Amino acid sequence: MSRLSGIFWSLLFLAVPVLGVATFAVAPAYDVWLPKNVSEHGPAIDGLFMFILALTGVVFIVTEVLLFWFIWKYDASQVKGPATYIHGSHVLEVVWTIIPAATLLFLAIYQMNTWADVKMRRPAMAPTVEVVARQFEWRLRYPGRDGMLGTRDDLFLTNDLHVPVDEDVLIQLKSMDVLHSFFLPNLRIKQDAVPGMKIPVWFKAKETGQFDIVCAELCGWGHYKMKGRITVESRADFDRWLEDTYARQEATQPAPEDVAAAE
Amino acid sequence: MNHIVRRILPATLAVCVTLAASGCGKTPPASFRPNMVEAAAPSAEKDSISAEQTLTAAQRKQVATILLAMFGTPDDPVALPETGLDESKLRLCAGPVRSDIVGRKNGLYREHCAHCHGIGGDGLGPTAAFLNPYPRDYRPGWFKFKSTERADKPTHADLVRILHKGIPGTSMPSFALLSEPQVDALAEYVKYLSIRGETELALMRAFFELDDDAQGTLPETKEFLVGETLAPIAEKWQSAAAAQIPVPEMPADLDMTASIAKGRELFYGDKANCVKCHGPTGLGDGQANDYDDWNKNVHKITNKLVKLRESETGLDAEQRTWANEFSQVLAGDALKPRTIQPRNLRQGVYRGGRRPIDLYYRIHAGINGAPMPAAKGTVSPEDIWHIVNYIQSLPYDFDGELGADRPMVAQDRY
Repeated sequence: MSRLSGIFWSLLFLAVPVLGVATFAVAPAYDVWLPKNVSEHGPAIDGLFMFILALTGVVFIVTEVLLFWFIWKYDASQVKGPATYIHGSHVLEVVWTIIPAATLLFLAIYQMNTWADVKMRRPAMAPTVEVVARQFEWRLRYPGRDGMLGTRDDLFLTNDLHVPVDEDVLIQLKSMDVLHSFFLPNLRIKQDAVPGMKIPVWFKAKETGQFDIVCAELCGWGHYKMKGRITVESRADFDRWLEDTYARQEATQPAPEDVAAAE
Repeated sequence: MNHIVRRILPATLAVCVTLAASGCGKTPPASFRPNMVEAAAPSAEKDSISAEQTLTAAQRKQVATILLAMFGTPDDPVALPETGLDESKLRLCAGPVRSDIVGRKNGLYREHCAHCHGIGGDGLGPTAAFLNPYPRDYRPGWFKFKSTERADKPTHADLVRILHKGIPGTSMPSFALLSEPQVDALAEYVKYLSIRGETELALMRAFFELDDDAQGTLPETKEFLVGETLAPIAEKWQSAAAAQIPVPEMPADLDMTASIAKGRELFYGDKANCVKCHGPTGLGDGQANDYDDWNKNVHKITNKLVKLRESETGLDAEQRTWANEFSQVLAGDALKPRTIQPRNLRQGVYRGGRRPIDLYYRIHAGINGAPMPAAKGTVSPEDIWHIVNYIQSLPYDFDGELGADRPMVAQDRY
């Protein structure tokens, strides 16, 4: 083993933390970072993410630099003497078990409130919409004017979810066949749709716009294209859209686009 | 240890670099598959099939050459002016997925449709065998869910509507998230594949209408190919818009309860005769012995082949070879025939659309390609509206209202 070889390998290991940190540092400039958040609980979740990133990042840099340092310093071409055999250090083992355990326990307690907000403290309201995941689409059912799901005036749609802005939205999530996962990246919502279960999902969107719905649990050959669109709009626009779509669903005459464009 | 690493690492790197540089090999360009079932048994409408009535390889080649000239390839489509198709829209759909010179996505059909509907619209894509119902084969030119009379083609807007809504209860998804021009182009490409498929069928059948002078070869004249073969097919597509079913307005002051009661009477009556297939409680359990036209074709041919094999006179060597080849054609170019289930009307799943007018179309014109008959002429338009209202009440109907002590409505049971 030559000195050059030792230098090469230790620098290779040093490249890991250096490139790792560099990637995270430049990512936001290339728009390769967290998707834009428009939900109310989003900042809490993103804050947790950044906290854990910082914590694990520091530990990552320290351990990787140490690794580099040991490879560099104890290069066999430089250090000629025999190795020292030790049975380990009990104190060191205890220290580096207790500190991570305490950190994890801290994290578990620190995040409890955010988890409860997103997954446990359901707002007391009737569902805004029922989302049924199906291979490979999102089937939506809005309760009609009577406010009840399962009656004659329900509104049926596919993939085109509309919700009002600045209001609590409660979604009843079901699956028609296999496991899917209802993922709204811009609303920091992800919930598995389990066949046989009716799972409530809630959020409050703070900005209008159109965002993605994607499936986050492998569900078959079409999983990659199981995409939908969520439109957040003002309450007035939302009500108007409900009326328009319901009128179109109850059409007893061909729609204008079906007559004019029939060529 | 070091000397092993010294040898293995560079060797591995060298192998990887070589593999990466050589690429995966050139894939051959996509090509349309000939309609082998039709070529092997073009006279399926006749009482028997036999080796004499199969197209020879030379005849199949002639059909393929003609189609190549008239319609192009999956990468390079051709739209003759007589088809009435817009070639620029076809170009958006044809070929592999890529961006064109102005940055638009091309290859839409291959990206979204080909894996079920097949590269030639034959319903034999790689995922087709796993789906129930099978994906549509456009080649015979039959379409189920449209606003025109039973024997007519769908309008362009009908095809766009199917792409927007998908077909609930089947694996056909909604493509509402694609842009308008993309959906428009895909509808045009479906028409192209259907016109091409029907032209192929017409050409194959034309061999059996030649007079003896032709010596088993089709005349390659514009008059025959375009005027007599292509033009009638394209004309049906162009006149579809004019064949839209005129739908009378449902009266605004209609008493819904009375209408539903009248509809129930008609549903169980002799004129409309709905219970025969849809069952005494509308569960679709009336009868399940029939086939849709696509499956019926393959089913009939398979039966004839079985009968031929079991025929008492026995087969000579040539017939036996042909029968074996034809079995292979069926195994490779046809999906196993399935009977068709009448719709379960209690589930609230309506394949062709759930609007009242969609149900009106289905009842008035029946469903082309399926055993659902047309009520046109037998049931008056007002009565059709009554039946529509009754049908729409079925998923919610257990003697009236929804309440806490009632059994769950049918469509909440999954």
